[in-house]
Amino acid sequence: MSIRIDGLSKKFGGHVAVQEASIEVGTGKLVALLGPSGSGKTTLLRLIAGLEFPDEGRVFFHGEEVTQKSAYERRAGFVFQHYALFQHLSVFDNIAFGLEVRPRATRPCKDEIRERVHCLLKLVQLEPFAKRFPAQLSGGQRQRVALARALAIEPRVLLLDEPFGALDAKVRKELRAWLRRFHDETQITSLFVTHDQEEAFEVANEVVILNHGHIQQIGAPGLIQREPANAFVHDFLGLDFQI
Amino acid sequence: MAGAIQDLTTLRNATRPRRATEEGPLVRWALILVSVAFFTAFLLLPLVAVFAEGLRRGAALYLQTFTDPVTLDAIRLTLITAAIAVPCNTVFGVAAAWAITRFEFRGKQFFSTLIDLPLWVSPVIGGLIYVLLFGSQGVLGPWLQAHHWRIIYSTPGIVIATVFVTFPFVARGLIPLMQAQGVAEEEAALTLGARGWQLFLRVTLPKIKWGLLYGVILANARAMGEFGAVSVVSGHIRGLTNTVPLQIEILYNEYAFAAAFALASLLSLLALVTLGVKSYVEWRARQQLEESQS
Repeated sequence: MSIRIDGLSKKFGGHVAVQEASIEVGTGKLVALLGPSGSGKTTLLRLIAGLEFPDEGRVFFHGEEVTQKSAYERRAGFVFQHYALFQHLSVFDNIAFGLEVRPRATRPCKDEIRERVHCLLKLVQLEPFAKRFPAQLSGGQRQRVALARALAIEPRVLLLDEPFGALDAKVRKELRAWLRRFHDETQITSLFVTHDQEEAFEVANEVVILNHGHIQQIGAPGLIQREPANAFVHDFLGLDFQI
Repeated sequence: MAGAIQDLTTLRNATRPRRATEEGPLVRWALILVSVAFFTAFLLLPLVAVFAEGLRRGAALYLQTFTDPVTLDAIRLTLITAAIAVPCNTVFGVAAAWAITRFEFRGKQFFSTLIDLPLWVSPVIGGLIYVLLFGSQGVLGPWLQAHHWRIIYSTPGIVIATVFVTFPFVARGLIPLMQAQGVAEEEAALTLGARGWQLFLRVTLPKIKWGLLYGVILANARAMGEFGAVSVVSGHIRGLTNTVPLQIEILYNEYAFAAAFALASLLSLLALVTLGVKSYVEWRARQQLEESQS
């Protein structure tokens, strides 16, 4: 198991964001966290990344417990909904960032960094844009830079928060197909948050459905659609007309 | 009665001119005229007068002001004071803005309000509290005297008073900026393995640099121009504890008008340069904020 979370709970003030969530994500899998807004899916992802710390429960990456480790130690690639690119750095420097902040002992040399960045630029099909700044890119391009930046650190797992949420429908569809292909090629264990069921079912190997901080059902897309676990899943997927 | 009021309202609404005519040429020109007249009378004329007075007896006398050793000492003290107070408040301002925008802690609202204190109280009080604290009759006075430390009527007192009055500028400039920018980029840097100083130097500082510079410029202008607080703690010892604003007052009181105005023109020049740099930095800061929100 690449990611295992065990009884994770998180409250903000009196509000329960995540309640006793347990998930296992197999190595090389692409899993979707699906739920309506406010269902706790982003909080869950941030707990896994180390951007929030749980009140209860534990997080494991590849069998190693990382619950108490801070985000910079976890080496989980994180792609933010609104990209969070460094505005003052070029595309090249954005992607190189994770390598350049490494301690001297493990930092690759300049040539190596350049090579790695160009490799990633090629992977996300943005080779001609290395010298541009984030403000000069389209939404879809920015999202791909964000992805390349997260991949540069050779993350143990990849976490994506509504990766296509801020894009228009057409680009969304294209990027979705691209992500699917990309995942098939890299086989990196990935967990992505979405509120769009079509997106979840089309891209993921497995879907986790959340509501009010509780996990409602975990399963392969086909299985969930055939056998919704409860009324919420049934309603949320809008299955009425199919039965 | 109610009917009468209603009639009046309807009447007013009926005769109320359209918005477009409200901002018609007459009103527009009247407003512009009033603003320009006020600006000229209260800002531009005095500024011109300062330079005119300073230069009235000729450029030679003007320049001679700046060769007087006592005046040079005042300039030196002002520079030293600013050179200590401004960096102090830069560090403090960044730390305070960071704490207020990035952490949740008890008493945050109170702390955030307290930062503004030097803007509300008269600078004289700012000076007086330090006399009460460090003066020979003050709380810490006997202890300081026992250790032969002199704060009041000496450079440290002037620096402390200047730190007090310039306290809010950097923090006040940064807090709204950092609130607007949010923490997304810092979080991204964190997940990429950056920590502590790397986070600050590589991500936060570039994001806030223009806002920071803006605060520093304002703090510097105030530090060099402060009169009230410094006047209380200085003791006006010529060549020792006189800053430029205090020296101007002394020269003026001694009827050395040309010298007073020459020195005043130096401060005014500083203000003008500050204004110019400030406008540029403000423009860049706004640009940076827009970029980060695009």
